[in-house]
Amino acid sequence: MKDAAHAEDTNAQAQGAEAIAADRENLDDMYLTFAIGEEHYGVSITMVTEIVGLQKIMSVPDVPHYIKGVINLRGKVIPLMDVRLRFGMEEKPYDDRTVVIVLQVNNAPIGMIVDGVSEVLDIPPSQIDPTSGFDSKSENIVSGIGRIGERVAILLDIGVLVSSADIALPSMTH
Amino acid sequence: MTAGTETAQEKSSGGALLRVSSDKIGRLMDLVGELSLSVSETINSPELHDLDLIGFEASAHRLSMIVREVQDAATELRLVPVGEVFRRLKRMVRELERETGKKIDLIIDGEDTAIDKLVADRLYDPLLHVVRNSIDHGIEMPDDRTAAGKPAKGALTLSASQIGSEVRIQVIDDGRGLNRAKILGKARERGLFGPREEPDPATLWKVIFQPGFSTAEAVTTLSGRGVGMDVLNSTMKDLRGRIAVESEDGQGTTVSLHIPLSLAFIDCIILRLGSNLFCVPVEDVAEITKPDTDDIIGISAQNGSEMLRLRDHMIPICRLDTFYRRISPSEKPLREKVFIVFETSSGRIAVPVDEVLDRQQVVMKNLTGALANVRASWGCALLASGEVALVLDCERLASGAGQ
Repeated sequence: MKDAAHAEDTNAQAQGAEAIAADRENLDDMYLTFAIGEEHYGVSITMVTEIVGLQKIMSVPDVPHYIKGVINLRGKVIPLMDVRLRFGMEEKPYDDRTVVIVLQVNNAPIGMIVDGVSEVLDIPPSQIDPTSGFDSKSENIVSGIGRIGERVAILLDIGVLVSSADIALPSMTH
Repeated sequence: MTAGTETAQEKSSGGALLRVSSDKIGRLMDLVGELSLSVSETINSPELHDLDLIGFEASAHRLSMIVREVQDAATELRLVPVGEVFRRLKRMVRELERETGKKIDLIIDGEDTAIDKLVADRLYDPLLHVVRNSIDHGIEMPDDRTAAGKPAKGALTLSASQIGSEVRIQVIDDGRGLNRAKILGKARERGLFGPREEPDPATLWKVIFQPGFSTAEAVTTLSGRGVGMDVLNSTMKDLRGRIAVESEDGQGTTVSLHIPLSLAFIDCIILRLGSNLFCVPVEDVAEITKPDTDDIIGISAQNGSEMLRLRDHMIPICRLDTFYRRISPSEKPLREKVFIVFETSSGRIAVPVDEVLDRQQVVMKNLTGALANVRASWGCALLASGEVALVLDCERLASGAGQ
């Protein structure tokens, strides 16, 4: 990314100011945004390894219902999670906009099936609002709400997303 | 670099002409695996169908043969003689002799047998426990041996040999043998057998590998704490190996470890059930059969379990679509299915499938992340077609163990 010079005034905690550190800092603020229905979500770009089109899914037994199966991505076996099912939303047939975001989480690959990817956005911490108020029994899958001008992206905690924990369902209002 | 690869690098084998770090070889193995997949994908590409290709078949065949050879050569790179592990054990035996006051003749056999470096690195600890057990509980004190009409020096043999695609490592002692009454009593106490059950020796001896199982009256610093055999058990599981024990009262005990030669490639039979693909290591398959309808017997009195009658033997049927959660249903009724009979340590089981597809050498990938909780499986296999199949662990399938 070419954003070393793109210094944010609000980025007060940017210590050191070395080019590498600044780069790192900026990467941490970058989010890949994608659509699920009418909602926009974001995941930290540091976790994303690639974005691929949907290919033949082979079913695997003994996995949660939201794991649709596995794909063979150039010799790597990648389990695919249907994010709609993970969120308890209605299943939607895959179309030509459906894509798979491949992430590397805790040394294991996982692919998220999403309705479509949007863009990579720079969202500094000052533009992220914390969330609260979900029921306490479930883990909070939302790490914050990012504001980008008029738009809003729901930022996901990938660790919780890929865990088998019950998740707090995001509100369906928009 | 991670700490793990660094330590693996350090322990490069002695006696080799060239020291190569194990992660370089690991990378080569990965690439060879991918190469072999890409080659079969290319050769089996549907776009080639109906094309009139002169000489393609022959070149494709030649290419596959070469890839197979490269695969074998890459596998061989990681093979080291088992003698290195034996030499470390030899030092330990000398030490145990001093500690226990027992006299031991150590015989080493087949030390040139080649074994995967990754296996060799993990073999020392479990083997050490077997050796300690033999010396501590098996071999008698010199006076007792003379009284029993045996030579005062006990004989302990470490032997290795390759049998097919497996390496067999044996620890043989000529000590007092396993005590059936004591082990059976203890096993009944722990509820492993019913009070009137009389298990056959091979089944009974297996219980000594159960976690925390020890019959030793006195817990010594060496063994008898019941942890050793457990280490052996879990390591063997990781290495896809089997353990067998033979023992003759007063004559001694033989513990045999059977370990597959290579951990990366497995010779498998590919099975289909509904839309699910499975594969099983060839050596686990005892028989493939298509039985008559009246050879399938349902027993409603026993939770609707089913048995397959095969030449007057009754074999329990294990349906994968019952065992596994969330499996696509099969379209065929049971009587039209093909039955794969597996030989396992808890007896034979018959697994019905829709179709037996092929026999292939597959590349295996570990189950990680979202797949880590899949039961009774060694991993995922990448097939030549590019598809993914689950490699069945017949032992765990047979024991029906949850994890």
